Amino acid sequence: MSELERLRHAMRATERPDAVLDLASVMREGRRLRTRRRVAGAGAATLATGLAAVVVVVAVGASGPGAPAPTERPPPVAVAPPSVGVSPMAEKSLKSTPPPTVRNDEPLPKPLGQLVDSGVRHGTERRVYYFVPVSVPGEPKVSIGLAAGRQAPGGPLTTDILVNDVEGSDRSAGFHQIGYDEGSAPAPVPTFGYFVGPAKRIIGTVDGRQVDARVARWSFDKQVVIFWFDPVHLTPGERLDGIVARDGGGRRL
Amino acid sequence: MARGDADFVEFARAASARLTHAAFLMTGDHHQAEDAAQTALVRTYASWSRIHDDDAYGYARRTLVNHLVDGWRRPMREYPTDEVPEQRREDVADDVATRRWLIAILGALSPRERAIVILRYYFDLPEAQVARELSVSVGTVKSTSSRALEKLRSATPRMADEEARR
Repeated sequence: MSELERLRHAMRATERPDAVLDLASVMREGRRLRTRRRVAGAGAATLATGLAAVVVVVAVGASGPGAPAPTERPPPVAVAPPSVGVSPMAEKSLKSTPPPTVRNDEPLPKPLGQLVDSGVRHGTERRVYYFVPVSVPGEPKVSIGLAAGRQAPGGPLTTDILVNDVEGSDRSAGFHQIGYDEGSAPAPVPTFGYFVGPAKRIIGTVDGRQVDARVARWSFDKQVVIFWFDPVHLTPGERLDGIVARDGGGRRL
Repeated sequence: MARGDADFVEFARAASARLTHAAFLMTGDHHQAEDAAQTALVRTYASWSRIHDDDAYGYARRTLVNHLVDGWRRPMREYPTDEVPEQRREDVADDVATRRWLIAILGALSPRERAIVILRYYFDLPEAQVARELSVSVGTVKSTSSRALEKLRSATPRMADEEARR
């Protein structure tokens, strides 16, 4: 018997056909989850409407009279629903928010603070990261989301992915949502996110390999560290297995 | 009980043992496995009206595997190797040896390798489907499978020696 056959045989031979789960509990939790999703759907719609209302003003302010017309590609808005499982810890950090919801009629919220130039270029456009204001119903401590966008020469900015917290505080210490390329943007989006705290290094792990992120402090709040992974070292969209932050002394935060 | 609920119960009864065992193969821990299978079924039930005519089992399997892979990302967890197997009177020695071998051999793999091995060789999914379910490229599935099998091959003689010494 080859090793593979032995492995297959062992995986089947150790099955326990008598395994019983508490289906009443499964259905009870499932109903609760369904309700939370409905509420989240309603909340997301509210947020999208709010953003649309704000951005009309922002778009004028951002572009200015005579500025180039908005880019053809509409800026998507990603609104993460509340954690949907019984294991909130697993949901929290390394999982990206769901694929962006693309809205064709939505201008761009005005960035908060300075754009961070990643150094990555897509033709003539540069990959940039920036915070934008968001509001999540019932979550007063969530007011910012981190966007990955492209800026063409001359200024027009196109948002590809926006990630934001959907509960708790967007300034709580530690990692927040991670943004992964979802294949929906014309250019691959390098994996990105932010950490709150005195981090000097952000190190991701994938397939047992360590990858250093590039980091920059947010101009608006120096406690916030924006990070992104060079696409040469981490393929956009590839999920991280782990991530840590270290301070200037190399201590894990 | 509504018709949809009755369908779900029938589905869950048929699928739960296999889902739980897959979760055990991924975690090496019966309690974690039951929790994970339960979570997958909760999410499946929450989406039941939209998936029950489609591929409910595939949905539950994808949910289970991604839930476990996500769970490993933070915090990183150790893969237990001292699991005490369920004792049965018949073939206890064989059962214990097989389970011990299996746990040790899977424990030598990274979480991603383990997920790929289980989807490929326990669920017998083709490479392209494994790639879709884990949101990775087919090339990643091929190279990871190959690396995982290489680890299995190199681990087996070592384990055989350890068994012989017992």
